[in-house]
Amino acid sequence: MSERGAINGTARIADQGYRRYDGPRLGPDHAIRSVIAHTLRRILGLRRPARAKILPVVTIVFSYLPATVFVGVIALFGRFGAQDQARRVVPKYADYYGFILSAIVLFVTLVAPEALCPDRRSRLLSLYLASPLTRMTYLLSKATAVFAVLSMVTIGPPLLLLVGLALQNAGPDSFTGLLSVLGRIVLSGAMLAALFTALSTAIASLTDRRAVAAAGTLLLLVGTGIVAGTLHEGLGLSASVLVLSLTRAPFELVVRIYGEPSTVPSLTTAALVAGVAAWTILGAAVTVIRYQRLQVTR
Amino acid sequence: MASLFRLIVRTQMTRGRVVALAAVAAIGILIGFAVGRSDIADPARAAYGFVASYGLGLLVPITALVFGSAALGDPAEDATLVYLWLRPVARWKIVVASELAALAVAVPFGVVPTAVAAAATGQGADLVLGATLASLVAVAAYSTLFLGLGLLVRRALAWGLVYVLIWEGFVARSGTAAARLSILVYARSLLAHVAHAAPPRLAAAVPTSVITPLAVAAVALVLTTSALRRVDVK
Amino acid sequence: MTPVVEVDGLSKWFGPVVALSEVSFTLERGVTAILGPNGAGKSTLLRVLCGLTAPSRGSVRVLGMTPRRDLALNGRIGIVPQQEALFDSLTARAFVSLAAELEHVAGPGAAAARALETVDLDPGDDRPLRTYSKGMRQRVKVAQALVSDPEVVVLDEPLEGLDPRQRVRMISLFRDLGAAGRTVLVSSHVLDEVERFGSRVLVIAQGRLAAEGDFHAIRELMDDRPHRLRVGATDSRALAADLLAEGIVVGAWVQTPTTVIVDTVDAAAFRRALPRVARDAGVRLTEIVPLDDDLESVFRYLVGRR
Repeated sequence: MSERGAINGTARIADQGYRRYDGPRLGPDHAIRSVIAHTLRRILGLRRPARAKILPVVTIVFSYLPATVFVGVIALFGRFGAQDQARRVVPKYADYYGFILSAIVLFVTLVAPEALCPDRRSRLLSLYLASPLTRMTYLLSKATAVFAVLSMVTIGPPLLLLVGLALQNAGPDSFTGLLSVLGRIVLSGAMLAALFTALSTAIASLTDRRAVAAAGTLLLLVGTGIVAGTLHEGLGLSASVLVLSLTRAPFELVVRIYGEPSTVPSLTTAALVAGVAAWTILGAAVTVIRYQRLQVTR
Repeated sequence: MASLFRLIVRTQMTRGRVVALAAVAAIGILIGFAVGRSDIADPARAAYGFVASYGLGLLVPITALVFGSAALGDPAEDATLVYLWLRPVARWKIVVASELAALAVAVPFGVVPTAVAAAATGQGADLVLGATLASLVAVAAYSTLFLGLGLLVRRALAWGLVYVLIWEGFVARSGTAAARLSILVYARSLLAHVAHAAPPRLAAAVPTSVITPLAVAAVALVLTTSALRRVDVK
Repeated sequence: MTPVVEVDGLSKWFGPVVALSEVSFTLERGVTAILGPNGAGKSTLLRVLCGLTAPSRGSVRVLGMTPRRDLALNGRIGIVPQQEALFDSLTARAFVSLAAELEHVAGPGAAAARALETVDLDPGDDRPLRTYSKGMRQRVKVAQALVSDPEVVVLDEPLEGLDPRQRVRMISLFRDLGAAGRTVLVSSHVLDEVERFGSRVLVIAQGRLAAEGDFHAIRELMDDRPHRLRVGATDSRALAADLLAEGIVVGAWVQTPTTVIVDTVDAAAFRRALPRVARDAGVRLTEIVPLDDDLESVFRYLVGRR
């Protein structure tokens, strides 16, 4: 009798219990794509009960709300020929982040812990590493998913603003101008997403509990902001100290990317770039080192 | 009750948390020290601003949130609550012991560093007293609120962050009605009054700033006790 | 005498999922095993009895009190929950001492030491519970349930993770508790060991009580299912033919020249007639073994036909 089924004349046994899998094996690339897709679904609460979607949806809606309102204002005033006056109400793209800073910070504190902590807490990480994934490919997959989700609130809202204004003929004057703004939106949004991905995954790699990781991320983001702000504005130290502020430095760099006038002209763009890069590298390094040293099975 | 208290304190005080919070507290104290030694034009305003933002706006709510929501929330989530619940111990005693345990950790890591940072600024006893009173009142309100939330809701800390970041950080600044639902507004109002600083926008009167958060704490304790009686225990 | 546990018309649902439906039974002192397939409602039943979740309908009385409402009952019930989670930062002694303190036991440290020794654990072990193996954690759970010497002990899969020697010890412990007048309720899948607890069972299937009582008696009540026995004889074929001719058996399968498997609807009549038929056939009997009088067969039949 063959393993696949016993055939004897007019009879056939179809189910012989356990059988080997002889089909195609899709390899590490497929494993990586699966981890990314699964992590995206987990963070956004997809394929889970409605209550798992509330927090991510509330935060994402909150970040898009001002853009929606501004586009609506332009459209409404445009009907009465007062589009130019309404255009003054709409902030510059770089300034838009000031409206949604709380939502971005909240989202950053929640996303990476959700992506990383449950796998360690439930000991699922050992199963992942028993697959074609290595620790690095696992981390890269997770980081890609976190980056993609954070991009939804760092690239998406100003992009919506651009598209909405462009459709109302209140956007950039030329096609070149449109491409320029688009490029700056993507660059600044990607920079923010990369920075916050590195930092939040670093904090999430240090603890198994999502709540503790979220609190730690918040302390880091907001704490550095308050400390650097006090040192500069309170104590009068050089503006360079603002590169320590994770709620100030990256958004100041965004202003420079858009070429808009800075509120801290004494802080050089080179220092900003170096500071943001250093934070990103630090975060990534902590994550990688932590996971390389992690004892996965008991 | 004492054994419950000791258990919850012990499970909360992991080495990583102690080190991280001690570092955050130390940074705050150092900055306060630096503010006090600087030669800026208005050090009192700088000191008040720093205490109001770093202490009341960050350290106090975060420590209260983390330890308040974890006191009963962690056992409920980890399925160890049964070892506390199925005992001949009055529910209110369990709740009070949990809250005292949360305070026993939140006060040293939230209130004390805020008060010490205020003292380090050298701007006088009023600022220290104001920082202490305001952070005590705030930590009592935050921790009891999150104690109940931790028992009833699965992602209590995430919802706590929504409250702190979105409600208090954004919505409560928009109007008086919303401000009245913000513990931070009451704490900052109390600080400003005791420290003789300019009150924040939408500030509450002093008696309200003390009574309302403490009333919230008392009501939260009662509701948490009722919830503990009715909760399904894993 | 008032039963220790009285359950009347108990139903429990979680949203649209019905976990228990119209369950009624009483329990006296001694050991009772709860059997059922996965998802049958065993754990839910145990949780309702302890008051960890409220019944959706029906009533539950334990020691004359209502679980969940009468706080004093908590001090008279000990539970070994199914989940593995413990307070990992504590030592075994600290954990069991905590249980003793919360139960208002005098001398909690000494009581904890005694309870740990009962389950073959070292009270002087300073290692935190997170370093304990599954079997050791299981025994710690049993120790914390017994430290206050409760009148009712509820154990949800207590043998899981234990090696064979530890299982034998634990079963012996439960029997001793039952013999000492405690009411012990054990849920388990390990049927051949559950048989050693004693013969009283509650069989739960799909949220309903399928049977209760002595499992031998349950088997006798299954008169719609023939009893199956293996008979050893010097000439199994001749014996089988005569048994069929007498109408005592409804089926016979000659397994070997000296062994026949028979099905009979009346086990008592079969036992009376068999010696006579064998004598008349000139056949010597070597063994008579009931093949489905064990708990596993009863269980399989009760839950399998649903």
